[in-house]
Amino acid sequence: MINLIVIVISAVMFTLVLVWWRWSAFRTSIEAPKYFMLCQERRFDDRDSPRRPSSTYLL
Amino acid sequence: MTTLSEQSAYPAGQQSVQSVGELPSVEYGLIRAHVFASLVTLVLSVLFGILVATKFTFPEFLGGHGWLTWGRIRYNHTQGIFFGWLGNAFLAFFYYAAPRLANRPVLSRKLGWFLFWIWNFAVVLPGWVLVAAGFSQPLEWAEFPLVEDAFVVLAFILMVFEFVLPFLKARLSDLYVSAWYIIGGIVFTMLAYPVGNFVPEIVPGARGAAFSGLWIHDAVGLFVTPFALAIAYYVIPATTRRAIFSHFLSMVGFWLLFFIYPLNGTHHYVYSTIPMAAQKGAIVASAYLGMDVILVVTNLLLSLRGSSGTVSKDVPLRFVWFGVVSYLLVSLQGSVQALMPVNRFIHFTDWVIGHSHFAMIGFASFVALGGIAHLWQRIPGKGYNERSMNWSFWLLAFGLTLMIADLTIAGLVEAQLWQSSAPWIDSVRAVASYWLVRTFSGLPILAGFVLFWISLITGPKTSAESISVLSREVSEDVPALDVDTAIAHGSSLTSRFSYVHALIFGAGVGFFALSFLVLAILPGKELADEIKQVAPVTMPTLTASEQRGRVIYGREGCAYCHTQQIRSLAADVRRFGAPTEAWETKYDYPQLWGTRRIGPDLSREFNVHPRDWQLTHLYNPRLVVRDSVMPPYPWLFKGSANQPTEEALDLAAYLESLGRARQLSGFGQQAVASRIQSATPDMAMASHASARATPPTVPIAMTGGYSDSAPVLHPASEPNDLQEEGSRGAALFAANCASCHGAAGRGDGEASVSLSPRPANLTAARFSDKRLSSVLWNGVAGSSMPPWRQLPTEDLRALVAYIHSLHVPSAASMQEATNLNEGKSLFAANCASCHGDRGTGDGPAAGALAPSPTNFLLKKPTEERAWEVLENGVPGTAMPPWQNQLSADQRHALVEFVRSLYGTPEENSRQ
Repeated sequence: MINLIVIVISAVMFTLVLVWWRWSAFRTSIEAPKYFMLCQERRFDDRDSPRRPSSTYLL
Repeated sequence: MTTLSEQSAYPAGQQSVQSVGELPSVEYGLIRAHVFASLVTLVLSVLFGILVATKFTFPEFLGGHGWLTWGRIRYNHTQGIFFGWLGNAFLAFFYYAAPRLANRPVLSRKLGWFLFWIWNFAVVLPGWVLVAAGFSQPLEWAEFPLVEDAFVVLAFILMVFEFVLPFLKARLSDLYVSAWYIIGGIVFTMLAYPVGNFVPEIVPGARGAAFSGLWIHDAVGLFVTPFALAIAYYVIPATTRRAIFSHFLSMVGFWLLFFIYPLNGTHHYVYSTIPMAAQKGAIVASAYLGMDVILVVTNLLLSLRGSSGTVSKDVPLRFVWFGVVSYLLVSLQGSVQALMPVNRFIHFTDWVIGHSHFAMIGFASFVALGGIAHLWQRIPGKGYNERSMNWSFWLLAFGLTLMIADLTIAGLVEAQLWQSSAPWIDSVRAVASYWLVRTFSGLPILAGFVLFWISLITGPKTSAESISVLSREVSEDVPALDVDTAIAHGSSLTSRFSYVHALIFGAGVGFFALSFLVLAILPGKELADEIKQVAPVTMPTLTASEQRGRVIYGREGCAYCHTQQIRSLAADVRRFGAPTEAWETKYDYPQLWGTRRIGPDLSREFNVHPRDWQLTHLYNPRLVVRDSVMPPYPWLFKGSANQPTEEALDLAAYLESLGRARQLSGFGQQAVASRIQSATPDMAMASHASARATPPTVPIAMTGGYSDSAPVLHPASEPNDLQEEGSRGAALFAANCASCHGAAGRGDGEASVSLSPRPANLTAARFSDKRLSSVLWNGVAGSSMPPWRQLPTEDLRALVAYIHSLHVPSAASMQEATNLNEGKSLFAANCASCHGDRGTGDGPAAGALAPSPTNFLLKKPTEERAWEVLENGVPGTAMPPWQNQLSADQRHALVEFVRSLYGTPEENSRQ
């Protein structure tokens, strides 16, 4: 049973890596939230401080 | 580093609601409240921890009251850290991060305050009070009583509404990894908590332990780790103003964590009676988890590339960085210590305590502190005192490093001694200094936490402007990019991959359910079948008194120092007896296997110590075990050890019942054991019930036996050697025997008042070498005299030499009896039924008596002692007074006769 679980998990992860490697749209999609998070940070900081230069974020 | 300019091929699409419109409100009031609650409970919990540690060195310290005893404070220490400190810190972070990550406010401010009050005033505070008052659950990470568990589950349900619903309203494909960790942590803990806390109450013994094992690890894996990683994944990019290295890798790490972590639980019970397939599965999962952690930490550290200056300048980020590095180290340590060759050695030792402190302070607390400091400076009107926070960091880092190094070494020392045949108390003595250092290491940790709190209180009052200045300072070294494009990009992607996230999250829930199937339900079924086949038909249940004693045992935290789980390891079996079988605990609701040994395992306590010893030991352990660090329980007595309350009697009754079913059912016959001795390596014992069923060696801790196989220990014959031996024996006597027999060996030690029969007056009789050897080897059945065979032979010989020196023949002589024949006939008429015709202690009635009647060939009482016994009898034994049945002359005749019996020809020749 445990062998089966290890194999299944490994297979799922390997498939994900394969999809990530071969399918650029997936790659783009899955990386998108990290930019969104930074944008949100900037927007909240801008609300607190309107003079803050938004261009200081490195994406 | 990925930049938008490199990704220009991505189609621009419509902007989602997440990137436009009004920004959601942030509940700063709730953040402040949870931060305050977290720091109050943190300081109190650490104080509890220091008090617990202090009691290892000074067991009597604040030991007079039940609500301050070691066990209850230990419960409140861990539950305070878990719910009070980390729970509140995580909630504060959720209120800060959730609106940003979901672009929606939390569900309801009122709900938030309700949750705050539930968490702190229905869970933490009442939980502490109830535990201190003696209402608890003796399960690791589940110590608050059941009534509290209902509120905890309610709180997690409220969290789902408060935090998870806003995320679900957002597009899944937009969710940042921190959001996933928050969702996963809340949902999975909500599912795992009831299983770990309620199920062991209805599933007994080994089967319940399988569930407990899951929760022990799920508490860390599904509550602490996900939320701490959510903070780490948030603070690092928010501080460096740079996206994390790879969101894909972060999600792989997230999925793997939730797939694998639940499968780890049984590694807390390696070499136990839980089926080996489940144990091996947990070990494999533990190794797999180590790889996942490497992936996660690599991703986090790569996100800090080029930001070393920021890490050194920004204290909150430094806290998080320290936590991330600790996460890597402690996780790899965890993977290694799950492996059987390591586990067999270090399990139950202080090594594991070091590991858990490394995880809870080094990883979780450092990250949580970093998260709090990060958000605190972004709360309007708040800021932290950088100098104090800097000191806080270094004090915590120093204290933690010292504590982990100390406990790790202490664990290795204990492990080494447990492998040997040294007496258990030697391991306690050996690590006493390490425990002292551990206590001191808690002081800089406490100071660090207090300084952290001070830094928040004394920080400059920030304005909105200063928040932006802070942000510019942090990011001034990095090149600028067009953020508006980033917004468009980040939100332009369609939700076509949402189903991937949903699918994998669903798979995570499936794996979570699978973990219970594989590690708890299936092994439980196998155990149930085994119990059905193996358990004796007439297995006795606990009496009402024993059952009450069991509750007291759990209430006072006894299971946190004494296991009831003899593992299938040669070292365990040699010391404690046959490995614990599943059926032995089939009536245990909940199981009391324990995960730590300060004192010895108690699975085979039946017939080991008599009632008076147990009571004396409970009243003040040091009366009968001089260097014991066990806490005293004076509130179970009415002022002295011989005045026990009902509770003390109940607890003693329960202790005496441990292992009774096994011994009465005839399991563990020595004859069978000797046949398989050479063919039972650890693995074989762990895998096969038939091998577990019989001990391969005579257990060190068992007084059973009563065999005549004790070696006869003759002291040295050379005067100089004898003198040296006697000196060493005196020291050994003072260390091991004086608390009962008294400093001068007169049987008037501090413990003697509550022992029945009283300890022997060693000055009142001449004992033969054979008799002393037998007593030291086997103890004295029916008395509190334990066997000392675990001492080296040289030490036993030294004790024999010293005890000989205690006997000084009386100068006063009675009128010499002239007619030994009269004594002989009186002996035959009145004494032979117990003492035997020849005075060898083997009369027809002797077999039913404990302690056994005296063998006068091996023990020659002084005239005074013999006279006293004939007048008063020996309380606690079958020897009655003869004052009323025999005249003074007759008693004189008897005294002369029994004294004339002493000594075999060899013994006499040695005198």
